[in-house]
Amino acid sequence: MRDALRDPANQVSPRARSLWFAEAVIVTVLLVGGLVLLSMWMTGWEFLPQWLLDRTWVAGLVIGLLLIPFVLAEPVVRFAVHRWELAADVVYARSGWLSRKWVFVPVSRIQTVDKAQGWLERFFGLATVEIRTASYAGSSTIKGLDYEVAARLAEELSRRAQELRDDAT
Amino acid sequence: MSLPFQEPVPEAARLSPKLLLIDPIRVLPSLLVPLAGVLVAGGFSPRSFIWAALGVAGSVLYAVVRWATFSYTITGGRLELSRAFIGRSTRVIPLERIRGVDVTTPFLHRLLGLAVLKLDTGAGGDKQEGELDGITVEEAERLRAVLLSRHAPIVQERPAAPGDHVFLRVPRAWLRYGPLSGAYLFTPFALVAGAVGLAFQWGGELGLDEDDAVAVGEWLWGHPLLLVGAAVVLVVLMPFLGAAMYAVFNWNFVLFGRGDHLVAERGLVNRRVVSLERRRIRGYEIAESPLERQARVARLWAVVTGLGDSQTRGQLLPVAPRAAVDDIAAEAVGPFSEALRPHPPAARRRRLFRAIAPWVVLALVMYALGYALIGIAATVLAVAGIALGLDRYRSLGHTYDGTRLSVRSGSLRRAQAVVERRAVVGWTIEQSWFQRQAGLVTVIAGVGAGAGGYKAIDAGETQAAAFAAEVTPDWMAPFLKR
Repeated sequence: MRDALRDPANQVSPRARSLWFAEAVIVTVLLVGGLVLLSMWMTGWEFLPQWLLDRTWVAGLVIGLLLIPFVLAEPVVRFAVHRWELAADVVYARSGWLSRKWVFVPVSRIQTVDKAQGWLERFFGLATVEIRTASYAGSSTIKGLDYEVAARLAEELSRRAQELRDDAT
Repeated sequence: MSLPFQEPVPEAARLSPKLLLIDPIRVLPSLLVPLAGVLVAGGFSPRSFIWAALGVAGSVLYAVVRWATFSYTITGGRLELSRAFIGRSTRVIPLERIRGVDVTTPFLHRLLGLAVLKLDTGAGGDKQEGELDGITVEEAERLRAVLLSRHAPIVQERPAAPGDHVFLRVPRAWLRYGPLSGAYLFTPFALVAGAVGLAFQWGGELGLDEDDAVAVGEWLWGHPLLLVGAAVVLVVLMPFLGAAMYAVFNWNFVLFGRGDHLVAERGLVNRRVVSLERRRIRGYEIAESPLERQARVARLWAVVTGLGDSQTRGQLLPVAPRAAVDDIAAEAVGPFSEALRPHPPAARRRRLFRAIAPWVVLALVMYALGYALIGIAATVLAVAGIALGLDRYRSLGHTYDGTRLSVRSGSLRRAQAVVERRAVVGWTIEQSWFQRQAGLVTVIAGVGAGAGGYKAIDAGETQAAAFAAEVTPDWMAPFLKR
């Protein structure tokens, strides 16, 4: 899409990298922890070959090692991909990691604007703005914004949406 | 001293505190199992009672915190719902976006004079709509009046009468196209399943129990010829019963106009009448199965804003010849004859790969493992995948004629949507990792009606951006690269 669309103007907060890193670490820890628990239970599985039964922790280790590059890459890639912009009364947002998503939401069609902050986001001083229209394909979620930026954006959007009052759907 | 014209500063309102009596009771069933577990495992010792008491106290505390941290405000033409619990969230809903208000009183609420008020904003998804669970009935009525600025007029859904303008009475001969759609083909099996279910439900009353059911099952198992015969009969019956069912539901289909409504009426036993407000019709969808394509027949639905279950309620025609479908589509929405633009050759490679590769892999694995028969079957499917993949590619296309956009796609069942430009509420362009390697994207026109979004699958990158820009130049122009 480099030839067709320009990048949205604004990056998300640099602290979003920490958020994505923390989320990836949590998921990995849960996954590996689950595998370790499973491996403790697996020792009773007679049908598995003996060499594997002696080393049931291998599964957790292998998965953990395989995931490390992803955990390290995801925050960096996301920070480069996730961008947003409000221009000419249209919200333009890009997101994704392995896949990509570009969303265009005209303010005149916005139905609800949500500003949300989960506990992890709160810890990093970040927030998410969710913009909804009458269609899932015209709805956008901008993650990893600085709290103040998110608050301003949400306020601006709901104020403008009200001024434009265009009920065509 | 207050300035003139200044709105009074509205206070944030809370849900009724009576909710605190209901909330813990509602949580209780989910606590019951762990509580019983603690009591049984702990042997009803004082310690386990303490744990149980802690559980109950916890749920009460949770209810109190939830109640204390939620508030709602109507201010400056919008409703704000805010919750400041572990996370903080504020939802802002402009009042003119609210399409419907639904007040319900579940049993516990009724006892305490409370109600649940649900807002229909037409936003996609279920949890996205606003909800005020636990306000007094008077408050609910007050809010309903405040929130509902306008409401759609209610139309009587009654059969065609003299004075109605009839667009089409579907000839009985067209009923023969029904089985081509593949609809109702599984009727025989559904009937048998229904009969078995009924037998179980009423069996008890007739003095039958599980032992009898097991005995019947064993007896049948002992007579395999009977089972095979029954299966053959059911399969042979499929097209006939399917056709009969289709005829019963679509008997004497009439489409007529009444005032500013389009009304569809059909059915042999029950005459089903559905009326659609014409000014809310935003487009139509046409679907064709491979058999229907051969016979040049198709099915037609209207894309209507604010209509749930549009696949049944929006039906404008039963299976009908393509010419009639185009006539009715032109009558309901407007003529559309723009040719579809094909997608790039990369899209054909991708369709072919997706239709063939899984079967090739399966065939190789099965040959390697020595299951030759499954391997052969997978090879046959892989070869069939070539034709399927090419057909899927031919189905792809999109276009715009100045007022309406159209997208088409489908595997076997080919579906084309034609939607008015004014119905578009936004765009999403998606690109999976594989699509990125091929330089393709899926562009989705967000529409506040029908399926919610209409996709042009595997369009070229520049093609997709240009399509969105062609339909809604004002929105896209600032973001295009020149």
